[in-house]
Amino acid sequence: MAVVEVESVTKRYEEKGQPPADALRGVSVQVEKGEFMALAGPSGSGKTTLLNLIGGLDAPTGGTIKIDGRDLSRMGRAALADLRRDRIGYVFQAYNLIPVLTARENAEYVLELQGVPASERRRRVDELFARIGLGALASSRPLKMSGGQQQRVAVARAIVSQPAVVLADEPTANLDQHTGAALVDLMRELNRERGITFVFSTHDPMVLERADRVVRLVDGQIAGDERKKAA
Amino acid sequence: MKILRIAWRSIWRNRRRTLISMSAATFGLVLVIFYSSLMSAMIGDAKNQLDTTGMGHVEVYAAGYRQKPQASKAFRDPAAVLAKLQLPPGAEAGYRVLARALISSAHASEGVEVHGVDWANEEHLASYVSDLRAGAAPAADDAQGILVGEKLAQRLKVGVGSKVRVMASRTDGEVGANLFRVRGIFHSISPALSQSRVVVSAASAQELLGAPGAAHEIVIQLDDPSRADAVARRIGRQLGPEYESFSYGQLLPSMKAIEALMDNALFVAALFVYMLVGLGVLNTALMSVMERTREFGVMMAVGTRPRRLVWQVLAESFWIATISAAAGLALGLAVTWYGSTHTIMDFTAKMGEGMDMGGMTVRSAFRTAFSILMSVKAAAYVYAMALLVGLYPAWRVTRMRPADALRRA
Repeated sequence: MAVVEVESVTKRYEEKGQPPADALRGVSVQVEKGEFMALAGPSGSGKTTLLNLIGGLDAPTGGTIKIDGRDLSRMGRAALADLRRDRIGYVFQAYNLIPVLTARENAEYVLELQGVPASERRRRVDELFARIGLGALASSRPLKMSGGQQQRVAVARAIVSQPAVVLADEPTANLDQHTGAALVDLMRELNRERGITFVFSTHDPMVLERADRVVRLVDGQIAGDERKKAA
Repeated sequence: MKILRIAWRSIWRNRRRTLISMSAATFGLVLVIFYSSLMSAMIGDAKNQLDTTGMGHVEVYAAGYRQKPQASKAFRDPAAVLAKLQLPPGAEAGYRVLARALISSAHASEGVEVHGVDWANEEHLASYVSDLRAGAAPAADDAQGILVGEKLAQRLKVGVGSKVRVMASRTDGEVGANLFRVRGIFHSISPALSQSRVVVSAASAQELLGAPGAAHEIVIQLDDPSRADAVARRIGRQLGPEYESFSYGQLLPSMKAIEALMDNALFVAALFVYMLVGLGVLNTALMSVMERTREFGVMMAVGTRPRRLVWQVLAESFWIATISAAAGLALGLAVTWYGSTHTIMDFTAKMGEGMDMGGMTVRSAFRTAFSILMSVKAAAYVYAMALLVGLYPAWRVTRMRPADALRRA
């Protein structure tokens, strides 16, 4: 069953005084439940744009995008926010944790938006932190943590609400090779353990090696769609 | 993480900026409270002085007397008119015989206003007649007794027991003159009163004017001066066109004008301060939001609804407003409490004890009025302004598109 359906999607950026730029030109791709998929391609190929469109953070110029069968173009801002809250997890290149919140509070944030009671939030986050080795850092603020630790908290925040898909935009780009590899391995394990679908953009060969499927984007078009045997 | 907790932590990210903004709002509020209480005390003092000087909250005259005071325009039977009046509970009323006159001592002559009064009753209508610095009030049957003010006594070079001659136009057109002895010297903070008022018994004044039994003024002091206009209107209807009744606001339009002027000046000053407070808070809130565009983008990306983001931004304004208003209110109350128990500005050395301003007298030593209600009102305006300006940055956040916000550095 397709969790994400992208059909003939185009995205054109138009700014005053600038020639229009086509970031995506007729992209179609489906992501099945439980996939561990990488979007590969050079800078400017449209990877981040495609992730933003899938996550409902931006609207396509043409085409349709569906999450769990729901057409994003038919949804208002509040409905899109609810969809992101309940069905989509995000991991950003720059970690993007909320700096005034502790690691635990960052992870709990989405659960609070969902209205999960405090005791249940705490139980789920503690369990997850223990699983991914963040237990000792639960009360730390992001600025006191290393990049790798912050990104693990970001992963925890993305998966704690059991979303249908986690979208990760260059999640290892700011990490050293060892930390980046450990993070991707962690995501891979969570993908297998919990059946969470991951779609991440990267041009890091180490990350691409670990993906089940690599969709290559070049100049806003799909240049290849390679399925590999899981590592 | 409740919205308020996140907001509380967020406002302290840039501690110095937040403290400057809060300090500006606090200081502005203290200024408004202080200025309001000073104006309020001045107006209140001026109103109190009206009572002290014997001006009535409501005064009744024979038709035309106020326009052209003449001895002949008088109540023929003032006691009967007084008896007819329907006065509110607690009101004090009496009548006076009035005359412009010339008073002479062995050393000098001065123009004065003669008040012929019932001594016992006058003490309830005008407190200055009891505030004697020398001598005593004449007895009820003392036809020659006279009270003069301190300044007049100095100018005439008279003391208790001195003889003075008072001359006035009689009702028959002749000049009446009587000899009096100074029985007492009264004190008044009003320079005009101290210098140009003399008080004798009603009978003596009637004899001086050749108008036995007559009076020119009925004076009514109310428990609640704010009802003066209504009482004056009612008495006017009751007595008909032969008489005219006036509230103190009508008798002293300058007082209303000064009161309105002070209110307007206070309004403009307060508005100015509130705007500055608003701009200060707006600057802080807007800078905070603009600096955190990416963070708001993240919040949107993880599923925060636009409405919650609005509350999030408003919650930061709420904290700034709450702390500023609470601090400003506490400081403002402390300052005005101190000012209500201590003289804070004293011009007595230069201006004397009192200053006459457009018919009003205010003390030259200023204090503030301590009013919790007035201070809370000022704080409420600052609070409302600080919250109101938070709407703009909140609106800016709702206009952000998540993808654009995330692209911001």
